[in-house]
Amino acid sequence: MTEAPRSRRPRRPSFAPVFWGSLALFAVLFTLLTYQLSAASTAEPRHVLVRKVIKRRVVTTVVPSPGEEAVSSGPVVSSAAAESAPVEVAPVTTGAS
Amino acid sequence: MSEHDVSFDAMGSHVRLLVGEPAPGMEPAEAAAERTRRFVTEFDAKLSRFKADSELSAFNADRRERVPASALLRAAVKAGLAAAERSGGLVDPTLADAIEAVGYVGSRAGVAGAPLADALAGAPPRRPAAANPAARWREFAVDDEAGTISRPPGVRFDTGGAGKGLAADLIAAQLRGYSRFIVDCGGDIRIGGPDALIHPYEVFVEHPLTGERAHVLRLSSGGVATSGLNVRIWRDADGRYAHHLLDPASGEPAWTGLIGVTALGETAVEAETLSKAALLSGPERAREVLAEIGGLLVHDSGRVEPVGPLSVRPRVRLPQPAGAGAL
Repeated sequence: MTEAPRSRRPRRPSFAPVFWGSLALFAVLFTLLTYQLSAASTAEPRHVLVRKVIKRRVVTTVVPSPGEEAVSSGPVVSSAAAESAPVEVAPVTTGAS
Repeated sequence: MSEHDVSFDAMGSHVRLLVGEPAPGMEPAEAAAERTRRFVTEFDAKLSRFKADSELSAFNADRRERVPASALLRAAVKAGLAAAERSGGLVDPTLADAIEAVGYVGSRAGVAGAPLADALAGAPPRRPAAANPAARWREFAVDDEAGTISRPPGVRFDTGGAGKGLAADLIAAQLRGYSRFIVDCGGDIRIGGPDALIHPYEVFVEHPLTGERAHVLRLSSGGVATSGLNVRIWRDADGRYAHHLLDPASGEPAWTGLIGVTALGETAVEAETLSKAALLSGPERAREVLAEIGGLLVHDSGRVEPVGPLSVRPRVRLPQPAGAGAL
């Protein structure tokens, strides 16, 4: 009875190339980032213009006086929707004073 | 949805305030309403031309060209100048002498106006008012850094043209953070708060001839104001009818063919300015003044005319009942 041949384990890399390679890569990246940081700190600050745009729209719905027809300045505000809005307080009146 | 409702008399008019729920950390609506009442009382005490001890009266009597002024008086003068600028001089804040000359010397709070229908029957031919090319309001300058107002000594300022609207706007600024609110300073109204977008306020427009409801507006933000001839109207010593809306060109009461104008605006000051400018302009020009933001004209005949956006009929119709409108 013959034994099945053992699978060959990959050979471990030796310590020195891994160590020096990692150190070299670290040094390169560290130098690059240091350069970028120093370049950024000496560059002139950029002026950023921030604008706040507020567009205000007044939507009004006119409920007709008795016998008048309903009109609305709002886009697609139906009479039914207006009627469903609850009004719990006595209305305020505008008139000459 | 609960609201605190408070009413009181100030500035020669009725003031009403509805305040909704406060945002977290803000004082209750009752406390805000009480603070507002104190503010309006102080506003009136400082800016009334009928009070001899008001800051406005002291300013008008001051013989210096440059006069130290409080932030409130500076704001009132700036509002009046902005109204004059916006209206092309029709809303002139330097007509204090002229309005006293036609009989409006003291406060008319609580004084019933003369019958408007009788006044219209005896009024001169209708014509649009016009700005005074030599108006003195252009000589006013407000310096906020120095805290002063300059003007030619002797030229008196009247906050009446924008005072109540300014009060409503200043109060509205203090009520930011409440769920919704409405401030009514003698018919000059400001509305705000996010809940008003969902549940708008109903604002009734009073008819100047009948006193009945001429129209109902549902408003979710901004301002609305009404100018009319029906309240501050009287007979002078010669028996002629006079009122408080003067033609700047003549210094006499303006009879333009309109007896009332309600205007919308982004603020109460803007609405007040537009309503006065439209009424003084007469029917033809008033439609142009209100074309962009909208309003209501009440003609001498009593006819109510929606103008601008308020005159646009809805493009979406609700379904008609079966059979209705069948050809």
